[in-house]
Amino acid sequence: MFELVLQAVFSGVLVGSVYALVALGLAVAFGAMRIINLAHGELVLLAAYMAYVVEGRFGLNPWAAIPLALVVVVSLSWVIFKAVDRIREHRELNSLILTFAVGIVLTNAILLIFASDVRSTSSPTLQDAISIGDLFAMKGEIVAFCVSLVLMGALWWWLKKSWYGRAVRAVSSNREAAGLMGIDPARIETTAFLIAGALAAFAGVALYTMSVVQPAVGHTFTVKAFIVTVLAGVGSIPGVFLGALLLGVTEALTVTLASSALQELAGMVLFLLVLFFLPNGLFGARARRG
Amino acid sequence: MSAKPASFRPTMPETIAGVALLLVAVAPIVFDVGNYALGLLVSSLVLAGLGLSWALLGNLGGMVSFGHAAFFGVGAYASALVSARLGLPVVVAVPLGGLVASLSAITMLPTLRLSGPYFALAILAYAQIFRILATEAASITGGAGGLQRYPSLPTILGLDLSSRTGSYLLVLSVVAVFAGVYVAIRRSHVGIALRAIAESEVATRVVGVDSLRLKAWMLLLSAFMAGVFGALNAHVIGFLEPDYAFGGSWSMMPIIAAVFGGYRTVLGPICGAVAIYLFDQLVAKSLIPVGHEILLGVVLAVMVLIAPNGIAGFVGGLLDRPKGGRPHVAT
Amino acid sequence: MLRLDAVSVRFGGLSALTDVSFAVPAGEILGLVGPNGAGKTTLFNTISGLVRPRGRIAFDGRDVTGEPLHRRARLGIGRTFQIPQPMHRLTVRENLLVAQVFGAGAHEPERIDEILAVMEIGHKADADAATSLALQELKRLEIAKALAVRPKVLLLDEVLAGLESRAKHLFMLKLRELHALFGLTIVIVEHDIETISNLCSRAVVLDFGRLIADGTPDEVFRDPNVVKSYTGGTH
Repeated sequence: MFELVLQAVFSGVLVGSVYALVALGLAVAFGAMRIINLAHGELVLLAAYMAYVVEGRFGLNPWAAIPLALVVVVSLSWVIFKAVDRIREHRELNSLILTFAVGIVLTNAILLIFASDVRSTSSPTLQDAISIGDLFAMKGEIVAFCVSLVLMGALWWWLKKSWYGRAVRAVSSNREAAGLMGIDPARIETTAFLIAGALAAFAGVALYTMSVVQPAVGHTFTVKAFIVTVLAGVGSIPGVFLGALLLGVTEALTVTLASSALQELAGMVLFLLVLFFLPNGLFGARARRG
Repeated sequence: MSAKPASFRPTMPETIAGVALLLVAVAPIVFDVGNYALGLLVSSLVLAGLGLSWALLGNLGGMVSFGHAAFFGVGAYASALVSARLGLPVVVAVPLGGLVASLSAITMLPTLRLSGPYFALAILAYAQIFRILATEAASITGGAGGLQRYPSLPTILGLDLSSRTGSYLLVLSVVAVFAGVYVAIRRSHVGIALRAIAESEVATRVVGVDSLRLKAWMLLLSAFMAGVFGALNAHVIGFLEPDYAFGGSWSMMPIIAAVFGGYRTVLGPICGAVAIYLFDQLVAKSLIPVGHEILLGVVLAVMVLIAPNGIAGFVGGLLDRPKGGRPHVAT
Repeated sequence: MLRLDAVSVRFGGLSALTDVSFAVPAGEILGLVGPNGAGKTTLFNTISGLVRPRGRIAFDGRDVTGEPLHRRARLGIGRTFQIPQPMHRLTVRENLLVAQVFGAGAHEPERIDEILAVMEIGHKADADAATSLALQELKRLEIAKALAVRPKVLLLDEVLAGLESRAKHLFMLKLRELHALFGLTIVIVEHDIETISNLCSRAVVLDFGRLIADGTPDEVFRDPNVVKSYTGGTH
């Protein structure tokens, strides 16, 4: 029993790291523009399908799809940004509806091109199981976990140390003041969206290597990313990481101890609990409230 | 606090429009368009009602919901179960379904304190939860296999409401009644305050408006309406399963319908729903059988970008220009 | 009419108000003075209900410290914002209507017309409040809205800011007119010493969230502490 729980926690942590990547992409875009990109999950999904194409058509390791995924997803991210930028009235709500629409278009486009079959990596190396003590993991999961950690570290460093990164933080906390200091909010917003796209690309490929994907799942990714940002509270990368781990572990435990059908439910309930009882998230500074 | 409606005498243009609408509404019956077409219209009117409930919440209260399927599904299951297991007549079960949907909305009241995106997605979470609960509580709801042994619409005063004609007239009447309620609220003092709450809630609170309570009432009303249409739809279709009743389409379609038609007006969501539904069933599905919703997504995206107030807003803007000056602050 | 007892507000680590106590008898025009950032708007926020302080606020004999924002208007606290906040998607007339119905409790069209006339925005009665008014008109609408709730106390937050001296003078006369016409108690935040001296019978001074002077405008502006806070120190 205990081993089962421990295994679930372990697997949950591995999956959670990728959730963190997805959530960070959403959070970076939100931080710069104050809008939530409801199509973010679909961007992640698209990257996953790019990995499928690279593996299926060219017989390469899915991770080789990163360049392709980056190109496709980042350009799409740019297109979405341009579209949202064109909204004049009621930015917050209209952008929700617009990105919602884009999400529908992307999900159905994927459905049309790739059909509704469930896809997953067939690479033997990645599916190979390795054991760490009593715990098991697929090689793919470990690789994904490492990649996520590296990217998160890089993002954290970039936001803290680089000029561009600090500009992003400045714009997200006070747009006008940042503008007065010579920072061009428009360029910063573009950068933020592109970064979000890049993170989505990596997350998508990672998810393909460790889990299964199908067209309907894009929507689920967006919701999970949102749940993680609520768990984490806004403004804290370590918070997002921990929140994502919490979600991953909760899901894994639910599957192990209850049933897999309740997996999604667990995340939702966790989300609502935190939303109502811990308005600042578990770790966050200040959450966006009404 | 009085909620007296303002003067209710219709103006001449309104009367003409009303009569024209009436004629359009009964035309399908008069010209006997056939059962298939009537069936399509019934479904589009169900969507119209759902779109109306969504627009009510968005327009009078400023709450955009991405999870109206929650109320729709709850209403559907409540009505079906109550009429099947407790033997209540369908005429009672349908409003009861709406009531249960309202009650389920009470659990959502804490979300009213949240800002736009958080509210929208919190409601989405509820919709997912209800769907999963409905699937898991198989002993009550028939689970994933579906529920189908429940009564269909009865015969009243000689009119068989389960026939295509009957159900068409029934759903049409309910839409009309709810539209009337919407208009009445919108014209009342409460409606005026609600209009302002969407973008300037603090300004209204400072002058004494209990905005949270008003928003709560709108949420409960919107849930009731959505639940009633969910119930009606259940009895018309005759079969329920969780993925259908709580399906994402019921959250997505009213948004597209209302935004397309113009969610700030009453007729906008109704006409938009009919237009979008018919477009989807007749055009989109034949062009792209699997994944036809992609066209709807495109329509929605285009509308938000070039005509965020929908067709109604677009036309209204054109009509107002010759008069000169600013368009009157309407709706 | 209005009484504050040991009112304190902290935002995170910052003390916005510390131990502020004063009383405003009915019918008085009180000036609230202090450098920028002294806490004047925060003080208004506690009185009108936007911020919940420690301490006690009594209005018209009852303790309102815990009352929610919307209830205070009904009790008779009218308030304007420094940056006007009209109700969106409504006309000017509808703005007053909402204030009347929900704040004062009944719809009285003649009184709306009266207020519109007194504040000289009658000509814009059917214009969209949020988009078609000039700044001056918006400020007048702010006051009109506050008047529509039938207030006993009117809190005016820098209504004269941004006006040049002749307009200021006219506004001041207007305020005196309102004071007499509607029998109001007024608390007004203002920077201009001359305005305070001309308009107010009493003034209190805030500095760094503390009350440092309370008396007639003459007394207060000659108080050495007050002079120091205005001329010395940085904020």
